[in-house]
Amino acid sequence: MTGGRLDLPQGTLDLLILKALSLEPMHGWGISERLHAVSRETLEIPQGSLYPALHRLERKGWVEARWGTSENNRRARFYELTAAGRKQLARETEQWERLTGAVRLVLEMG
Amino acid sequence: MLSELWSEVRYRARALFRRGEMERELDAELRHHLEREAEKYEREGVPPEEARRRARRAFGRVSRAKEAARAARGTAFLESVVRDVRVAARRWRSRPAFAALVVAILALGIGATSGIFSLVDGILLRPLPYPRPDRLVRLRQAYPAIGLDTWALSDQNVAMYRDEVRGLASFAAWGRRGMTLERDGRPRRLEVARVTGDFFRVLGVDPALGRAFGRSEDTPGQPARVAVLSSGLWKSEFGGRASVVGSTIDLDGRPTRVLGVMPPGFAYPGPETQAWVPLGLDPTDRYGWYLTGVGRLAPGATLDEVRRDSRAAMWRWTKTMPGLFHGVKPADAGITTLVTPVRDAITGDAKRPLEVLQAAVLLILLIAVADIALLFANRAARRGREMAMQRALGATGGRIARQLLTESLVLALAGGGLGIVLAFGLVHVATHTAAVSLPRLSDVGVSWRVVAFTFATSVAAGLGFGLAPVATLLRRRPTASLAGAGRDEAGAATRRLNGALIATQLALAAVLLISAGLALRSFRNLTGTRLGFEPEGVSMVALPLPAARYDDDTSVVRTTSEIARRVRAVPGVSEAAISWRLPFGGNYNTDGYVVEGRPPPSGTGVETQTAQLAVGPGYFRTLGIPLLYGRDFDGRDRPGAAPVTIVDRALASRYWKGADALGQRIQLTGDTTTWFTIVGVVGSVRDESPAVAPMPHAYFPFALAPTRRAMLTVRTEGKPGPVLAAVRRAVSAVEPGIPLDDVRPLTDWVGRSLDTQRIIELLLGAFALLAALLASVGIYGVMSLYVTDRRREFGVRLAIGAEPRGLVRMVLGQGMTLAAVGVGAGLVGALLASRWLGSLLYGVSPTDPLTYGALAAALLAVAAGSAWLPARRAARSDPMAALRTD
Repeated sequence: MTGGRLDLPQGTLDLLILKALSLEPMHGWGISERLHAVSRETLEIPQGSLYPALHRLERKGWVEARWGTSENNRRARFYELTAAGRKQLARETEQWERLTGAVRLVLEMG
Repeated sequence: MLSELWSEVRYRARALFRRGEMERELDAELRHHLEREAEKYEREGVPPEEARRRARRAFGRVSRAKEAARAARGTAFLESVVRDVRVAARRWRSRPAFAALVVAILALGIGATSGIFSLVDGILLRPLPYPRPDRLVRLRQAYPAIGLDTWALSDQNVAMYRDEVRGLASFAAWGRRGMTLERDGRPRRLEVARVTGDFFRVLGVDPALGRAFGRSEDTPGQPARVAVLSSGLWKSEFGGRASVVGSTIDLDGRPTRVLGVMPPGFAYPGPETQAWVPLGLDPTDRYGWYLTGVGRLAPGATLDEVRRDSRAAMWRWTKTMPGLFHGVKPADAGITTLVTPVRDAITGDAKRPLEVLQAAVLLILLIAVADIALLFANRAARRGREMAMQRALGATGGRIARQLLTESLVLALAGGGLGIVLAFGLVHVATHTAAVSLPRLSDVGVSWRVVAFTFATSVAAGLGFGLAPVATLLRRRPTASLAGAGRDEAGAATRRLNGALIATQLALAAVLLISAGLALRSFRNLTGTRLGFEPEGVSMVALPLPAARYDDDTSVVRTTSEIARRVRAVPGVSEAAISWRLPFGGNYNTDGYVVEGRPPPSGTGVETQTAQLAVGPGYFRTLGIPLLYGRDFDGRDRPGAAPVTIVDRALASRYWKGADALGQRIQLTGDTTTWFTIVGVVGSVRDESPAVAPMPHAYFPFALAPTRRAMLTVRTEGKPGPVLAAVRRAVSAVEPGIPLDDVRPLTDWVGRSLDTQRIIELLLGAFALLAALLASVGIYGVMSLYVTDRRREFGVRLAIGAEPRGLVRMVLGQGMTLAAVGVGAGLVGALLASRWLGSLLYGVSPTDPLTYGALAAALLAVAAGSAWLPARRAARSDPMAALRTD
């Protein structure tokens, strides 16, 4: 219907969340907005699946959560990348690039 | 990697234990998201209602997001378990009677089992606290032809085994002795083991403090004045001070140097041993059989080899003593050595009773498990409809099964936990009751092995009880149960299984009841046995005289006679006497004897054994032993007078009638020069245990055979307390060096020989009653199930005019048929079991018809009672109500 919008490939949500958080700590809604905006409204982030993903990352110790005050003075749960999370981001970024590079090579074939 | 793992653990722990907090956080977080999303739309000019709707649409289903977030916590399984347990707990709270019954049955079954197994583990199974305990053997001898089933070792025997048996890497011997420890003018009686120089080397245990003594201190006939203390004595008497080692103590009036202190738990020859001193083994001493050998097998040597070699050594030795053995052929006379693993020697008498108790508790556990299976089957039948409903509403079979399993596991674990508490109680009572004199009690505790066993049992039981009804339920079609038809469908197979369980339970209960009944009758016989003396009102005082000041017979006789004289004068004392020992006092001397003018039986050269002891005037009166013919010892029997003896009826009646024994003469094999003239005949006494027939006794005047370790026997009138205080003062006035901490009534001593038996019979009786109770619960359960299943049928029968009494008869008949089958099988089982009880029985036939008949009848009566309650319920079925239940 919206034509230009894309569903996220399996497993990339974690990578996008880690990337978004690498810039600054953010709350869930902020992450959702940021990804939407930065992808020039191309990526459709399923908002409902954002939170299970955040909790999974928290469990693995890649992000840390704490309660803080949001930009419009409301209590919100902020997520922040940990050192382990930063390493994980680097790892996943590298894997993503290898994957897309390989896919591109195949597509450009003959 | 590790930090990741740690993070997982921390997170999940929080998720599990602070679940409420995390849920609130999740709610707040999602609310925040939805509000911000809605505000975004509002800013675009969307009205608030519509903005909120759009926000929710963009988010997707909130409940699914929450579920997914919870799943992401990784605790879903655990949480559902917690939920199941909560549901189960709620269910049991609403049915407290059933839950309590199941928990109680399990707790009793598991508690009794764990308690008894802990005892068995500590006493029979756990290795002795010595290195390579399986290589340790105890050595004694036997000479059955003259009535010596066990025959102690003489000094020369010990040296012989030590030097001649190759299979023994090391060999030592010990004898017990009471000694007096005097500190600050206060004498105290000690249980001392006199041991040969190799003793500590054989056992392989070093003192915890200081050093032990060795062969160099064990000089023949003149042992060094040194001692090794037990840990217990060191703590109680010397305050656990290390400086005691190397100091000098006063032992039997002689300065003795303390060499070392043994570690706690070192309890050989027995837990009562408080100190060890060198014996002074004299290999030239051929007579005086008072020692027990203990040896360590050489590497590679077998028990059989050692048995063979030590017997050969013994036989060679008899040839060096022609005076004693009169050309006896050792093989014909049955002379042999008895080599027993030390563990068997220590646990010896306790083994069979413990095995019997173990078997009893296993039967109880079986009955209990059958009970619970029946109770759960009963419940499952009643819950059939409820579960059919759950299934119809979409619960999977697995989900229902899990809930059922959780329910039974909750009860099983509760029962198991309570059972462990009971086991601790049982073990505490067994180890802390003075009356229990089982061996190795210090090694007994509830062990982790038993706890593991208990938990495994309860978990297995829980799974089993949970699964049985699940299987039947899942087989049924839900619609059938909902339609009501399912209720009557308990099924012939289930009913047959229930019947078999009941019959088995009753059979097991019958075996236990009858075994316990036989054992209890034996015990009554034992306590009712006439001992031949009157222990009531008699107290005994050990009178060890300090060796240093009493080195000749005259002084011993003078002092002991004076003590007896003064004690007799104490108000409240009706009689008092001196003797070597007292009945039930253990260690009696025995000897072969020859009767003048009667050739001894061929082969042995002597008559069988007679117990011999020296007693002072008044001994028989004090103990209440009747003087049948002749006279008591008196002032005439002094050194230099003609040797005389008083024999008991057990000896006299072998050769003479009544008073004919007087004036006859006998000789003891230890002293072939003296003939003793019989001047009196007294009644026989049972001396070892009420179960052992009286042994012949020959008494000699104490004045002619005095000992520094005499006993004073006092018969008092009225309350013994104040009288005994005066007796103590009288004794101390004559000889202050005598320790008086061990004055006690003779009944104590006599009773003690039966204490272990009493406890075991008490436990067995309690277990038997428990078994009967549990079996009656089983019958009640099955008959209730039967009545519930057929309520409709009963209702219809009553509606069409059946007599209620007829229904009662029918239900009772059903129950009693099962009971009769079970009890019948139990009678056969009991016949087999009673043969195995063997040595536990005394004065009662293993097939005693009275015991069998009475207990079988009692069990049938109990069964009838338990079947009657449901039967009455059947008869009172309201026809309308029964029909309406659909």
